[in-house]
Amino acid sequence: MAEAEFIKGNEAIAMGAIEAGCRFYFGYPITPQNDIPEYMSRHLTDVDGTFIQAESEIASINMLLGASSTGARAMTSSSSPGISLKQEGISYMCGSQIPGVIVNMSRSGPGLGGIDPSQGDYFQATRGGGHGDYRTIVLAPHSVQENYDLTMKAFDLADKYRNPVVILGDALLGQMKEPIRRRKYRKKEFPKDWAMTGAKGRKKRLLKSLYLSEGELTDHNWMLNKKYQSMKREIMFETQFMEGAKLVVVAFGSVARILKSTVQMARDRGMKVGLFRPITLFPFPSAALDKISHSIKNFMAVELNTGQMLEDLKLSVGHKKNQVDFYGRPPGSIPSPDELFHEIKKIYKKRIG
Amino acid sequence: MQKTFDIPRELMTGEDLAQPGMLSCQGCGASLAMKLALKGLGERTVIAVPACCWTIIIGVYPYSTLKVPVVHVLFETAAVSASGIRAGLDMRGEEDVVVMAWAGDGGTFDIGIQSLSGVAERNDDILYVCYDNEAYMNTGIQRSGATPMGAWTTTTPSGAVKQEKKKDIEKIMLAHEIPYVATASVAYPDDMIKKFKKARTIKGTKFIHLLSPCPPGWRIDPAMSIKITRMATQAKVFPIYEVENGKYKINVYPEKKIPLKEYFKTQGRFRQMSEDLVKAAQERADRSWESLIRMDGEA
Repeated sequence: MAEAEFIKGNEAIAMGAIEAGCRFYFGYPITPQNDIPEYMSRHLTDVDGTFIQAESEIASINMLLGASSTGARAMTSSSSPGISLKQEGISYMCGSQIPGVIVNMSRSGPGLGGIDPSQGDYFQATRGGGHGDYRTIVLAPHSVQENYDLTMKAFDLADKYRNPVVILGDALLGQMKEPIRRRKYRKKEFPKDWAMTGAKGRKKRLLKSLYLSEGELTDHNWMLNKKYQSMKREIMFETQFMEGAKLVVVAFGSVARILKSTVQMARDRGMKVGLFRPITLFPFPSAALDKISHSIKNFMAVELNTGQMLEDLKLSVGHKKNQVDFYGRPPGSIPSPDELFHEIKKIYKKRIG
Repeated sequence: MQKTFDIPRELMTGEDLAQPGMLSCQGCGASLAMKLALKGLGERTVIAVPACCWTIIIGVYPYSTLKVPVVHVLFETAAVSASGIRAGLDMRGEEDVVVMAWAGDGGTFDIGIQSLSGVAERNDDILYVCYDNEAYMNTGIQRSGATPMGAWTTTTPSGAVKQEKKKDIEKIMLAHEIPYVATASVAYPDDMIKKFKKARTIKGTKFIHLLSPCPPGWRIDPAMSIKITRMATQAKVFPIYEVENGKYKINVYPEKKIPLKEYFKTQGRFRQMSEDLVKAAQERADRSWESLIRMDGEA
């Protein structure tokens, strides 16, 4: 096993990307993700890769579209307002089935907002974000190690489904330092019989999202939808203290890691609280939550926003006689484990007694 | 011995519209630049600020260090947002209010150039100011289209210096044939205030390019920031001139010949610059200066 290294969250993403064979990175400055382009600018040239700081977010997402369309592994990263600017490009990539990895180390909004952690981009990430009926796979790490591991996984998923993959972190996950262990990337082969590599000696290829003849776009959209449905086999989640739990707290990303301490505190005080942490936000682990809801009736979503993942939770377990409660903390401050314990205790008292 | 500059008293009259409490670094050119700009423009001014150091310098909401209204706008839209404000003010009959877009070099040379070009093509009646500190300083010294060749930034590949040339933004703006294009520097405050006073009286798109020192980004002692900025003009890498309706006028003639190398030596960001790059930069500066003198002579 590799030695543990003390690494910053953003750098772990960049390291994971290079290990997974990413050789093209296109970015633009925005806090709190600048360590990613900075790391890439220092290290991509060591592996004969290309680093370009583009003139805008639109340029960088479309450089990603271009590089990926040749079959190369490529990545861009930004933070919330920058990700908003990239949406048209992401929509084109989905429509043309061009893979690519997009990192959103999100900050707070709306507008220029602030640079502190937030989960306000959940809807944008999981509902497509741009125009048209499409989805991207969304991975939500909660530690620096996961930043590293999930970035490697993101490249495989992007190639496997010919679809953009979004890594949704936030300022906390990007800026903090933790020990991680590097591991060797096991190369998986994904035949790219669609890549733009020059048509000499073979039939020409076409990557496009424009379909004008009668019914053509209908078929295209149904085909894409089928693909999005098939992504369900990639669902990942983590549970903690589920044995005998009476209340399940559901949370992702940075707030989930704070809740790990909170749930431990609750258990120490004899409260039967469990934690369910979705790792894939799209596809959302609805089936697993539904299964749990046959034996546990009380759920509580905790998010660093005013209620977004809450809707997916309600769609998963909101039927029957289940109770779904919510605690949200909009950006501007990060809740401590104690504060969250206080909120959970209130709900626990109300629902369980 | 460098001559110190007296700012004529008549230029510094009236209340300071830029108040103390700015959240800038020591030796920041951008905060001084705003103070001088508002001396020239007066209180009938509305400012549009995109993402740049000034979104921070202004202070934490609801406080503002400026005594004129400020609208925070998108990174890529300083110019067009200012046009919108202009249209709104005109409709209200407040035509004497000057609308100033106040953007950094990233927001001007890179992401904002599309909207700036659109505004210039329509000759919208705004004043566009780029305070140029030659990199994305607010986010931590990333290279921009305004970073000079030979400067180190945190995103110049392999930790080396920038190999590409700085865009000639004046030429780009002049190609739009707008009524007023000028350069100015916080090291020449009298010239700068006069230019803002003049810009206020001109109808159409005005573009002022300010060289604005950034001690953390340039790797200089904050106490030296004005001196070094003045050297940029003395070494002819940042000539101070204006072009009014196509007529060139050089406003500051360097008193003595300073080789560009001396200017580079004053800053940590140029430490890794090779002799070849220094030579290339000197040749480029000489060429631009000669062409500027020719244009000035034709006027």
